[in-house]
Amino acid sequence: MTGIRRGAVALTLLGLAGLVALFWLSFFWVSTEVTQGVVQRIFYVHVPAAWTAFLAIGISALCSAVYLWLRDERLDRAALAAAEGGLVFATIVLTTGPLWGKIAWGTYWTWEPRLTLTLLLWFIFAGYFMVRNATEDPDKGKRFAAVVAIVGALDIPFIHVSVLWFRSLHPQPVVAKVEGPTLPGDMLATLFFGLGTFTLLFFGLFLFRYAVEGLRTRAELRTRTSAA
Amino acid sequence: MIAMTLRPVLRFARLPILAGALALGAHMLADPLVAQEALPGSQMARQSLRPYWHVFAAYAIVIVLIGGWAFSIARRLRSLEERLVD
Repeated sequence: MTGIRRGAVALTLLGLAGLVALFWLSFFWVSTEVTQGVVQRIFYVHVPAAWTAFLAIGISALCSAVYLWLRDERLDRAALAAAEGGLVFATIVLTTGPLWGKIAWGTYWTWEPRLTLTLLLWFIFAGYFMVRNATEDPDKGKRFAAVVAIVGALDIPFIHVSVLWFRSLHPQPVVAKVEGPTLPGDMLATLFFGLGTFTLLFFGLFLFRYAVEGLRTRAELRTRTSAA
Repeated sequence: MIAMTLRPVLRFARLPILAGALALGAHMLADPLVAQEALPGSQMARQSLRPYWHVFAAYAIVIVLIGGWAFSIARRLRSLEERLVD
């Protein structure tokens, strides 16, 4: 087993154990929020999924930018693996959020800035995979996709500040504040545990996905060699 | 052989497992009902079983999507490994 695979197995197993513990903390340990009641518990998967999606998309954009500069195939593989993770976690954000919103706001969806910008990010990254496979020349597809990843990542700061700049149904930040977090201790601990768990799971599966692309390159190289 | 040995044990354990699951379910459902008694009338309407389904659905989505991604990666990894062995 290669170093990457060993790392992937260790991180994924840690992440899975963390996920079980996070579910237990969310359902049986953390106190119930007074105003929203039990539905606020969606917060402990919704926010970590959003953080992980932004981290993954950030990694994809960074690798894409350096790929455009150095044209190193390993960077393209990393960008692709991170983009896939980003899309998965963004889908979690966009499906768990409306379930929470239905109880808290009375509607599954509203075209307010944060929701709209997050949906836009999802579409941009869905487009990343379409652009990648839409060209006859694979290298051209990789370059186009790299540009899409960079443009998509530019949306993330706007998603973050949208609740401050515009009138929004989304609450103001309760953790990332200048004066410090305003969450009770047990809620903050559960949230940070969730952030750690989702990050571990992402990096574990990201390494596996990166290994898949490495094997695909080897397989394609072998096919080309045997054909020639 | 092992299945034959375990069958009577499992048959015996079925009832306690079922009772435990029912007790856990009743406990989870009973808590908000107890809490309602202490809440003012305006907030009582908000407390129902509906939020529980939304919470369970949200957590189920997390399991399905992360599990689905992991399963899809494992399938591609196995298929490529087989292709390279051939």
